[in-house]
Amino acid sequence: MDKKERFIAAIKENEGFIYKIAAVYTNNTDDKNDLVQEIIYQLWKSFDSFNQQSSLNTWMYRVALNVAIFQLKVSKKTVPTIPINEQVINYRNTDTIDNEERWKIFREQIGTLNLLDKGIVLLYLDNKSYEEIAAIVGISKTNVATKLSRIKEKLKTQIHKNL
Amino acid sequence: MELDDLKSTWQNEGNTSTQKNLTTSIINKMTQKKYHSKIKKITLPEIIGISICVMGAGFIALNFNKLDTIIFQAVGVASIIILLILSALGFLGLKTLNIKKDFDKPYAETLKIFAMQKLAFYRLQKINIILCYLLMVTIIVLLPKLFSNKDITEYKYFWLSTFTTGYIVLFFLSKFVSKYYRKTLQQSEELLAEVI
Repeated sequence: MDKKERFIAAIKENEGFIYKIAAVYTNNTDDKNDLVQEIIYQLWKSFDSFNQQSSLNTWMYRVALNVAIFQLKVSKKTVPTIPINEQVINYRNTDTIDNEERWKIFREQIGTLNLLDKGIVLLYLDNKSYEEIAAIVGISKTNVATKLSRIKEKLKTQIHKNL
Repeated sequence: MELDDLKSTWQNEGNTSTQKNLTTSIINKMTQKKYHSKIKKITLPEIIGISICVMGAGFIALNFNKLDTIIFQAVGVASIIILLILSALGFLGLKTLNIKKDFDKPYAETLKIFAMQKLAFYRLQKINIILCYLLMVTIIVLLPKLFSNKDITEYKYFWLSTFTTGYIVLFFLSKFVSKYYRKTLQQSEELLAEVI
């Protein structure tokens, strides 16, 4: 398998994460598609520098998150902090809400976090272990655990505050 | 809703068929060039701004002979210097945008660079506003001389109308800039405190 084929296989394997990252860090479809493209473009540009010190998967997550940050800078946008609405508060009681609404609520929750916490949460939600999160983010495993516990507390408090 | 409740939504989002649309040919295309590059859209206003400043400085320099007193000449030199500084700041901003990024770095390190660059950018914006205040004064003094070779004191309402209008516009502009950036500035500082 040549380099390009390996790259394409890796992208296909991780496209779900790339799209989700792009959706969380942007506010509309155009920006999302731009970010997906930018991530893939930068991944390809940096593919030679992948030195196998970490797994390909870890490396891809790291590049994707970093590109998302710089894309924010280029487009001069910030991820908005949206106040939590009633729908979020009543989330547990709304069994019938569809995926789109769930995703909206999800974005509202994630949107209240700072960029560091956001990155950590996204990796946690993607079922990454504390070790993997630590490797991607560049902080210690203990720090990951502390931050996650603080984030969980913060999300809980926000809900109560709005009740 | 707790963090673990969000997991299923996150997992579902990745499984929706509409999102899995990357074919080999699309990936290939994406690796070749950036066909939706945003950089051009962002840099265009900056380039226009720089061009206007350079042209303004050039215009004053070319008409410098019309400035017949020491005071007008001093104001003319001050205007040229301010315009050139504004152009240099514009270039600096462009350079920051086009700087080669290392995406292999750990996320926290990238955030640190990102927050620091943001803080630097906002400081630059503040300097820009201050320079614009100064430029407004110097340009208003020079305009009648440069265009009709008359002293501004000859115009009855000149001071009142131009200074008032210019000052009001700049006042609201600076208010808007500081209000617009205050939250982002605070977020950047907090982020920096987290990652350092």
